[in-house]
Amino acid sequence: MKKEDTVKLISSDGFEFVVDKEAAMVSQTIRNMLTSPGSFAERQHGEVTFPEISTTILEKICQYFYWHLEFASGKDREFPIEPELTLELMMAANYLHT
Amino acid sequence: MTYFDYGNISSMGGACSRKQERNNEDGLCRGFSRKFCKCGSLKWWTSSFSYSSMDLRIQKGECPSLLDLCIQKISEDLDRHNTFSMLPRDISQQIFNNLVYSQRLTRGSLETFRDCALQDLYLGEYAGVDDSWMDVISSQGSSLLSVDLSGSDVTDFGLTYLKDCQSLISLNLNYCDQISDHGVECISGLSNLTNLSFRRNDSLSSQGMSAFSGLVNLAKLDLERCPGIHGGIVHLQGLTKLKSLNMKWCNCITDSDMKPLSELASLTSLEISCSKVTDFGISFLRGLQKLALLNLEGCLVTSACLDSLAELPALSNLNLNRCNLSDNGCEKFSRLENLKVLNLGFNDIGDTCLAHLKGLTKLESLNLDSCKIGDEGLVNLTGHKHLICLELSDTEVGNNGLEHLSGLSSLEKINLSFTVVSDSGLRKLCGISSLKSLNLDAYQITDAGLATLTSLTGLTDLDLFGARITDVGTNYLKKFKNLRSLEICSGGLTDAGVKNIKELSSLMCLNLSQNSHLTDKTLELIAGLTGLISLNLSKSRITTAGLQHLKTLKNLRSLTLESCKVTSNDIKKFRSIHLPNLVSFRPE
Repeated sequence: MKKEDTVKLISSDGFEFVVDKEAAMVSQTIRNMLTSPGSFAERQHGEVTFPEISTTILEKICQYFYWHLEFASGKDREFPIEPELTLELMMAANYLHT
Repeated sequence: MTYFDYGNISSMGGACSRKQERNNEDGLCRGFSRKFCKCGSLKWWTSSFSYSSMDLRIQKGECPSLLDLCIQKISEDLDRHNTFSMLPRDISQQIFNNLVYSQRLTRGSLETFRDCALQDLYLGEYAGVDDSWMDVISSQGSSLLSVDLSGSDVTDFGLTYLKDCQSLISLNLNYCDQISDHGVECISGLSNLTNLSFRRNDSLSSQGMSAFSGLVNLAKLDLERCPGIHGGIVHLQGLTKLKSLNMKWCNCITDSDMKPLSELASLTSLEISCSKVTDFGISFLRGLQKLALLNLEGCLVTSACLDSLAELPALSNLNLNRCNLSDNGCEKFSRLENLKVLNLGFNDIGDTCLAHLKGLTKLESLNLDSCKIGDEGLVNLTGHKHLICLELSDTEVGNNGLEHLSGLSSLEKINLSFTVVSDSGLRKLCGISSLKSLNLDAYQITDAGLATLTSLTGLTDLDLFGARITDVGTNYLKKFKNLRSLEICSGGLTDAGVKNIKELSSLMCLNLSQNSHLTDKTLELIAGLTGLISLNLSKSRITTAGLQHLKTLKNLRSLTLESCKVTSNDIKKFRSIHLPNLVSFRPE
């Protein structure tokens, strides 16, 4: 995996997720951060920190990114959501436009 | 463009029994209850259903968003949650909408939305809504902008809760039969209301209407079918922002109720169909400079009211169906030059009257249903280049009359049902390439007539209900690739003819009822018409065994199989497994 094809997503507790850029860009918010012109640090370093999103939730979100890509390629299986995560996950999804 | 005219026209025509239905302007909305019915209005079938955003995405083959999935999940495990008040408003609003849509919201789960600052609560026709819901509704406080409680059991007491929702802009209390004058008093202080709807309220009296005088921002007021409001219109006098007033089917309304309306300078739309208003009452409307739409259907007015109407400079849309018009005095029609929509159906008028419509060249829609007009009258329409919609059902129009219409290059809809037009006359229509909707529901139309129309490739709606179309004729249908709605019901079709119909991949409404030779083979043939929303094969040889072919019709909302070898239980069983969208079926 070439570095420029990936992006590092960092949770509030400092945990780092390295994911394909294509996956991360499922989120409209991350897409904007990585592509809009200007000197976003995110764009330069391929790193985005989410001080409001916990590791558990960010992991779930990364899973969703890949699930979304699979869906687009025709794989239709259920995306499991643990009931205790739903509210927090929903707020994050709302923030990430995902 | 306005609603009532085109709506009526698009669904117009058919056998006499069906026509009766249309006497009632609500006919469209009661499509469910009609037996061997027409497809009904396609517009209705395609627009009256709301989808959640998730369903919409999935329908389009798009991936559900994570937010959608979470909302779905919450709806499923609702009992795990006690409150959503910590969520941002837009999210709790989406959860609420989803619960209403999926019918999961109950009085108990409503509690989770206490103090959520929700803006819109659309609970119209929602089961179980009563006074006990009002406390949580009012807890949204000044965030609340729009509430729909139509069809609920909310009473006058329940409405007291709304007093504190001072931001309310829109309130719908249609069909709330436990609300009376006292309830109206409770909302009299909601001065931000712009939209208030109060249909079919038997208890609302003229006295109760005094509460409306405080609603100074009201722009739209709907009092349709309120039988006790006579005398109360005076309380609307000060509502200078009122633009739209609906008093259809309020047969208590008389001339004296028209007087207060003369003060409503902002009024653009007034509907008083089926009231007791006469020519004298109409004279009070003269000063209404902005009045664009006037619905007088079924009023006691005569051509004498045309003097008053000529003084309404903005009038563009006039419904005079079922009034007491005659040729006598109708020369005044020539003064109504700005009319775009004119409904004159079911009046005792003939070609003499039509001569006075010659100068109304801005007309886009003209309804002459059941008037005594003939071929010669139509010569007066040759200059109506903007005419989009022409209703000639049940007139004396024949083949010679169509000659005069052949140059109407904007014409999209024409209804020639129950006229004396025959196959040879249809040639005159074949050059009107703008035509989209054609009603030829008449016994003398046959395959030969259809053969002359194949150049009309833009047709989307074709009604051949009573025309004698056989399998031979269906060969010509293949030219109409854009057909969304088709009716052929005179009994001449067999499965062989349906082979041609199966090519019409845009079809959404198909009525082949009363073709008693059709068998389960027909169902097999149409299995590929996956866009179908409504299907009627009543009085055919369809059996329960044939239903399996309908599995693919996932969009089907209405299925009518009366007098077939299919029982209600068969359909129910099949629906539960294969047709999740089926909301109406017969036998039921």
